[in-house]
Amino acid sequence: MIAPSPKNKEVKDLGNVLLNVGAMLLSSGASTGRTRNTISRISDSFGYSSDLLISHRTIMLTISDKRNDYFFNNLKRSPPHGVNFKLLSGISRLSWQVVEEGLTVNQINDQLSRLAALKHYPRWFTLLFVGLAGISFCRLSDGDAVDMVTVFIATVCGLFIRQEVLKLKFNPYICIYCGAFTASLIAGGGLKYGMGFIHEQAFATSVLFLIPGVPLINSFSDMIDGNLNNAIVRGLNGFIISFAIGMGLLTSMLIYRF
Amino acid sequence: MEIFLLTEKCIWFGLGAAGFAVLFNVPSKTLIYIAFMGALGGFLKVTLMHFYETNVIISTLCGATLIGFLSVYFAHKTHSPPPVLAIPACIPMIPGKFAYKMVLGLVNLSGDIDHSTYTQVMSETVNNGLKVVFILMSIAGGVGIPLLISRKESSKGMRFRKRK
Repeated sequence: MIAPSPKNKEVKDLGNVLLNVGAMLLSSGASTGRTRNTISRISDSFGYSSDLLISHRTIMLTISDKRNDYFFNNLKRSPPHGVNFKLLSGISRLSWQVVEEGLTVNQINDQLSRLAALKHYPRWFTLLFVGLAGISFCRLSDGDAVDMVTVFIATVCGLFIRQEVLKLKFNPYICIYCGAFTASLIAGGGLKYGMGFIHEQAFATSVLFLIPGVPLINSFSDMIDGNLNNAIVRGLNGFIISFAIGMGLLTSMLIYRF
Repeated sequence: MEIFLLTEKCIWFGLGAAGFAVLFNVPSKTLIYIAFMGALGGFLKVTLMHFYETNVIISTLCGATLIGFLSVYFAHKTHSPPPVLAIPACIPMIPGKFAYKMVLGLVNLSGDIDHSTYTQVMSETVNNGLKVVFILMSIAGGVGIPLLISRKESSKGMRFRKRK
């Protein structure tokens, strides 16, 4: 049995921290290139070379020192994806702090747990702003005031239902389907029984708050970087989300017989 | 009068960007910059489409490129990485109307075949679908352009003017 040496412990701790950083980045909506850059930036500053295999939700990491005396090799699965740019920008700042100020592994761990505990915006604030975004989309596709009010109500209700279903730990695509169905049901009711005051734009833009912007844009930026495998997986994820939105719309259309 | 209408659209672009920024949980001090970037990018897109009658794909590419460059500039100011600023700012340009029409068309196409209208529905659906794909590609490409042409891995060292 090999006696544990301080160097051995260091490489293990650093490896675990790097895997944590990578998993947090992947789940909060970073592209593959960004994850790879951040991890190798931190490990380079400690004087270790790193090799990575990154898939949609898993990271495989090997770090070793220059003479290959000490190495660490492990896999980590990231938590389910949920976009959180506060975490992403915090980790990016942290990685530069490590390079410039030479933080120790323990300090990085403290910073990471501080970042993970950062609060989201209050729920009413999110609902209000996403409702306003829905209004904007409706106005941009030439809706008038009555349409805008309808879309606001539909968007707020849809997002509320989606958050509630998400809390019940359903499959993420089902959550999106429920959100799309609720929003289009409200807007479609307006279209059907609104006596001509509510137009088709309201129905079309009521589900736009669900569009998978981050998966699709990340998919294309991965494609440009050359991480084709991840690009295809992310693109497919975005496609299934769009499909779930489409199914929600279709269900309402079936109910109202448009 | 037209300028007034375009400026009004600008506000909606900014508000849409801010809404999605809140949904994506961006750091609170970047919110105002994201709204500003979204408004400017949207303004460029709408102006190109209205006054110069550019194709919707090309004008989206121009708007997204402007957002890409602005995101690098504001990233230094707010100490956040450029994608955090650029992705929410681009979202109002995503072609919801075309996507909706495409889905409707697909539903019609999968129904019973009526030979008199089938070809027309088919061509409209393909047209809308291709527009959606190309607009999405031009958004992602436009946002990536600053990093592509500077050939740097990170925007940390990028400056618009050389430091003395």
